Amino acid sequence: MGKNSENHNRIINLLRASRPIFNSASDIEREVIQKISQKNRSETVLSDITDFLFGWVYIGWVRRSLITASVVLVAYFVWQQGTIIRQIKYLSSQPVMIESESRSFQTGFSGNKAMLLKLFGNKLPTQNITISKEQMDNLLESVNDLQTQYRELIKLIEEDPELKKYLEKKLTEMNRTRIKL
Amino acid sequence: MKSELTKIIIMMLLMFVVSCDEPDTVVTNIVHADGSITRKIEMRSPDGKSEYRFKTSDLQVPFDNTWSVRDSLEISPKGDTVWVKRAEKLFLSVDEINMTYQKDSGTNKNISRNAGFEKRFRWFNTVYRFVEKIDPKMEFGYPLSEFLNKEELVFFYSPESIKEVYQNGPDSAKFRSFGDSQDSKIDKWLTKSLVSEWIGRFSYLVKSEATEDLSYNSLKIREDEFVDALSRNEKNFDSLWTNGIMLREMIGEKNALKFKTEADSAINMVTNNLLLDFKEYSVRIVMPGKLINTNGYKDSSSVLLWPVKSDFFLTEPYEMWAESKVTNFWAWIVSGVFILFVFTGLVIRIKRKG
Repeated sequence: MGKNSENHNRIINLLRASRPIFNSASDIEREVIQKISQKNRSETVLSDITDFLFGWVYIGWVRRSLITASVVLVAYFVWQQGTIIRQIKYLSSQPVMIESESRSFQTGFSGNKAMLLKLFGNKLPTQNITISKEQMDNLLESVNDLQTQYRELIKLIEEDPELKKYLEKKLTEMNRTRIKL
Repeated sequence: MKSELTKIIIMMLLMFVVSCDEPDTVVTNIVHADGSITRKIEMRSPDGKSEYRFKTSDLQVPFDNTWSVRDSLEISPKGDTVWVKRAEKLFLSVDEINMTYQKDSGTNKNISRNAGFEKRFRWFNTVYRFVEKIDPKMEFGYPLSEFLNKEELVFFYSPESIKEVYQNGPDSAKFRSFGDSQDSKIDKWLTKSLVSEWIGRFSYLVKSEATEDLSYNSLKIREDEFVDALSRNEKNFDSLWTNGIMLREMIGEKNALKFKTEADSAINMVTNNLLLDFKEYSVRIVMPGKLINTNGYKDSSSVLLWPVKSDFFLTEPYEMWAESKVTNFWAWIVSGVFILFVFTGLVIRIKRKG
């Protein structure tokens, strides 16, 4: 305890011996006022910037307009992205073609032309084909008969559920074999 | 029966040989964001040709000496030798492509084709649309959508390989039945369109001389009657028409005698349109950015494909279109900053008020 108070006294004496020299009390006063006013000025600048940037929040119509614009922007974004995502999802659900099949479009003979051939057999663009009228008639006759027989066959299958089931089973088996191959 | 089948096969083969002079052609349009298009045409000689020359008159899509052309000899997967001609050109706009179509002297010169490009700024994204369009051949025909439902239409326009996918998919029963029902519906569509077209053309040709009973509206009212007559006499229509029997039944003896030439001209116009000498090909489109919508068929590398067949543009324009988008990241940032600014303003107001 005695040692502590001895140290304390020694420090006090040291501070008393090295105390600052007061030339002018007014200088100190000025310095303190300057320091305080500097602190206030930086706060005012920040407040000025905030007021400049966000002064609109106190003007009713500007505030309402900007809020509306923000809401519209967000709604438009959500709607646009939603539409795009929906479209992309639909596209990805579509069957994908195998590249090599891009050429399989070209069949050279359209099935729907059979009907037109039946009607306008002799009006076909001849180009360099040489077929007699009789041959053409035979072809058209054969196509007609084939179509009639095909329709009859389909009707027969439709009317007989057991036959239909059997054929469907066979078709499925054929498809499976094709995939295996 | 066997002999009939043989006949059919021989005749089909003959017809196929006739229509097989043209090369297998695929046109690829690589669309750029600035509206320019790199167009590539790949033509392959038909299978089994020991020697092949690419004649301009056989080509489905026009190209000239301003294109960079490369010829090569390749071996097909079947082991056959295939002559391949590849042509490429950068078009600064679709107008240049349209000019090329207008000057076409190839096998498909009689059909009207054009391309279109549209760029739409949609703030967060820019949307691009490219379309290749073929105008319809018939003026008075019926749209196919009046005869086929939505699903049947999709099936009708699908390439064979896609049809197979549908027919072996979960709705296989439904799609398999499409094939049969579709044929009769398409027959109906063709017959009605044919009659309608004949009415339109014939009434126009006789307009100045004919009485009211041969006006377009009067004939149109009797359209179903004509369709019935045509369907009833489908097998021998050709001879009935040539002998004038059919026309007499349709417009009466007096008119049939007076306007036989006009009626024949009208039927010739119709048949020329229906039995169009058109050589099929395929169109591919590569869009800038992300693909968002199309009526085409995608392959595994997201390249779009369309078959081009004469049936597709008989009565309606055939449009092959695709839409894609490119994200405007700057617009996302600007929008984000703006929303943050408004939100901060509101927070400050609430704080000061509190």
